[in-house]
Amino acid sequence: MDDHGRGFDPDLDEGSIVARAQDGDLAAFEHLVVTYQDRLFRLAYRMLNDRGEAEDTVQESLIASWRGLPMLADVNAFDGWLYRLATNKCLDVLRKRSSHAENITDPDNVCSLTEAGAIRAPAGSDPAHEAEWSAQQAGLILVLNTLPPVQRACWLLREMHGLTYADIGATLKISPAGVRGMLARARHQITEGMSQWR
Amino acid sequence: MALGDIPRLGCGRSIDRIWATIDQPPTAHEQQCEQCQTARARLSGLNEATRSLRESDLRNPSLKAHPGVTNAIMDIARAEIRRSKRIRLHSTVNGTTEISEQALSSIIRFAATAVPGIHSRRCRIEVRSTADNLSATDNLSATDNLSATDNPSENTGTTASTGPHLIVNLRVAAATGIDIPRTVDALRHQIRNAIPAGVGITAGTINITVEDLYDV
Repeated sequence: MDDHGRGFDPDLDEGSIVARAQDGDLAAFEHLVVTYQDRLFRLAYRMLNDRGEAEDTVQESLIASWRGLPMLADVNAFDGWLYRLATNKCLDVLRKRSSHAENITDPDNVCSLTEAGAIRAPAGSDPAHEAEWSAQQAGLILVLNTLPPVQRACWLLREMHGLTYADIGATLKISPAGVRGMLARARHQITEGMSQWR
Repeated sequence: MALGDIPRLGCGRSIDRIWATIDQPPTAHEQQCEQCQTARARLSGLNEATRSLRESDLRNPSLKAHPGVTNAIMDIARAEIRRSKRIRLHSTVNGTTEISEQALSSIIRFAATAVPGIHSRRCRIEVRSTADNLSATDNLSATDNLSATDNPSENTGTTASTGPHLIVNLRVAAATGIDIPRTVDALRHQIRNAIPAGVGITAGTINITVEDLYDV
């Protein structure tokens, strides 16, 4: 990568790193991959509750970003755009899962549905289990998984990843005010769920 | 979206409003209203659980992508490396000499690292053939070291006397607070020296656009 990465300095501002990746600089792109892969993994894991699918999502989103980078008009919009790619991939996976469950009605898939139609993470499947010593955290994760996917994505993007209402709105194709409403409903539902769980 | 979409308590307060002020002391109404007190207690529990989940997810080594993911992504990126256009440096009866825009850009970016307060970004290079723009090239050929073309040997024989006229369009980000005209002049000077030193042709026109400022 030395042939393309000559003069590459990881202390560059992110806009300049993105611009160089747009010009095909592999060292700059690798820096972006390393910067974002774990963030995207945390998002995808909390969306999908499946390590393999989360890793596939990370990989597919970052490769899509490599292919789409030359078309990105504003280098400073890279993070919001990348989160949008990853979130939409997660939502696609969940849509496929639910149509699979409806069409095939595999009892193994259905048994993880609660009466409320919510998907619950199978016990012990959470790699973060060891660290989740806090009952509050465990309750939050459990209730989070009962939220509809779009609402869950909205909450995760805001509360776990600090995205702006504008970026979340662009991802979920709703207005910033719509994001505010969706977050309020998500919080309401989570607090209700957590109070029942305790 | 209408405000009606935001859940409200029986007393009329919206959940959103209580959430927004969760870190502040309760208002007079909230101190007296049982529904508000319950909502505040629950939201403050959520606030704590959210913060604790965020921090523990960040620290949790098992919530990281497998190290192989980086390599898998980079392998694909390398395989799909965008072929940049080629710039003809030299043309002889025996053949042509071209350089990729990417290789030339890398020389330009490396030159730019010598100028403090400048982060080079995208770089586009065009070339005007000498036949089209002989006079323009002549005007810019003061530092041209290819003009002495006294090597007519068969293998390296050269026909061009001044080489192509390069037009470099470099976009950069500048550190806030720098003297932009002076810095950009220094940058242009660096590039003007680096191109002949690196590839043996004259730099031609160097257009620099400061498209962004970065904080230092």
